[in-house]
Amino acid sequence: MLVWPDLLFPEFISACLFLLTFIILSVFVNAPLLNRANVSITPNPSKAPWYFLNLQELLLHMDKAWAGVLLPGIFLAFLAIIPYIDRSNEGQGVWFGTRYSARITSVTAIYSMAVTWLLVLFDAGKFERLTRFFPTCDEEQPHHWPPCLVGDTGLEGLRELQTRMRFSIGDFDWPQDWRFPLPKLGGFSELRFKNLHLWGDMNINVPAVMVEQVLPLLIIVGLALLIIYVLFRIGWVRTTRDVMIVMFTGAMASYLALTIIGSFFRGQGQELVPPTDIRVDCGTIPTPPGCP
Amino acid sequence: MAVVEEPGKPRNWQERLAIIRDRLYDRLFHNYVWRSIFRSGYPNTPRNQMLVVATNVFLHLHPTRIHRTHVKITHTYCLGGLSFFMFIVLTVTGVLLMFYYVPDVNRAWQDIAALETNVRFGLLMRNLHRWAAHGMVILVFLHMMRVFYTGAYKPPREFNWVVGVVLLFLTLLMSFTGYLLPWDQLAVWAITVGHGIGGSTPYLGDEVQQVLFGGFEIGQGALIRFYTLHVLGLPLLAAIMMAVHFWRIRRDGGLARPL
Repeated sequence: MLVWPDLLFPEFISACLFLLTFIILSVFVNAPLLNRANVSITPNPSKAPWYFLNLQELLLHMDKAWAGVLLPGIFLAFLAIIPYIDRSNEGQGVWFGTRYSARITSVTAIYSMAVTWLLVLFDAGKFERLTRFFPTCDEEQPHHWPPCLVGDTGLEGLRELQTRMRFSIGDFDWPQDWRFPLPKLGGFSELRFKNLHLWGDMNINVPAVMVEQVLPLLIIVGLALLIIYVLFRIGWVRTTRDVMIVMFTGAMASYLALTIIGSFFRGQGQELVPPTDIRVDCGTIPTPPGCP
Repeated sequence: MAVVEEPGKPRNWQERLAIIRDRLYDRLFHNYVWRSIFRSGYPNTPRNQMLVVATNVFLHLHPTRIHRTHVKITHTYCLGGLSFFMFIVLTVTGVLLMFYYVPDVNRAWQDIAALETNVRFGLLMRNLHRWAAHGMVILVFLHMMRVFYTGAYKPPREFNWVVGVVLLFLTLLMSFTGYLLPWDQLAVWAITVGHGIGGSTPYLGDEVQQVLFGGFEIGQGALIRFYTLHVLGLPLLAAIMMAVHFWRIRRDGGLARPL
């Protein structure tokens, strides 16, 4: 078929339809304009634009460098190199061209969204009852074994492994004894590049590294490998293309789930609340008029 | 004796009308000025229709022919084209908004407030710009998903997919830089969140905050950076990348289809 008129005509029509839709939308729905910016009045919650709310949501659960910069960077880099990993021609040019791709996509999408939600709920302390099998710590004792929790409740999030869990291996008490000096790097105890502090004379806080970086990343990677392995064992995932579909779908689905959680389920102090309970507090100074 | 009709002599009012119409058409479309713009008439033959696409400065980024399956709306849902169309809408409305906006922390908010109340169609332009920006982000994401699930990144289109990922990133950046410009509570505090995220870059946190946000808090430095990137730097880069993106579609043999 010819581009003129077979393609250009539908293109023109769809452009017109979209323009009309957006003009009608713009007539009836106004773009928000709140009060003039005031550095001394912090709205609670203050939120990023919606397409970055997923990153803001991730920030609540893990190390900010990983959540805000490294993971999105890895995500974009992964997107860019997909065609260089999956070089086959199978399934090219048709929707869900390989044999099981449609069901891989739907299963992975549901799995990722469910898992994302469960993890967020866990970090909000909603599954605290499930971890009450940990004994309550006896503060009188110097060392603790088996692992116990300070206080009466179960784990209310991953970070409580650092703040409330106690155990000891030998004389090493978790968390306070698990700090080790950084090993020397090639004979250097400190390494600088101009004003960048690359490697320093300091201690590694193992519990913090575990809770903020290692465990969240292991969970992400582990859950991705799990679904790939399961789908591989039941015979749906057979080729590189299928693996790419799982990874792409999983990333996009959890991105979507995090965006929805960040947009509609985060109230004041970034508490997890139902959408109907979100109230924006515009600051401590007497509420200015026009404040949402 | 046979009746000889004089050619061009109208017999009734319909023919009179037809002659007037033809003359009008001639005056309008066959005059010196029109011919200087459009060198040929409407392309009636497939050959000429292909030539139009191949030689027109605006259309030549298209392939001249496409496969039957790609004309079906459900193959692409026009998502890529509509993303580009959003870009055009944003450029047009954005230029109009620039007439009334000064990127100064003391003026920016008042300018937007005045635009909404004092400028004819100002509110409409701002609304269009805002909603089209959100629309573009969504459309670009959907377009990427369409390309992925139709396996259209496969050889020989690998590099065009990479260009597309860059365009996705640029789209997000364009939207994000525009978010600050109204200089209201929503804008500044949203960018403050982004400022915090940028500051958490390993090793380079302070540098990122200095270079991209102009300091350790959101102020004039951030506003002028975001404004310049938003109206000039990023759209220019995006336009170049888009030209490459569309051109590569043609060079790579049109849209992907089964081998």
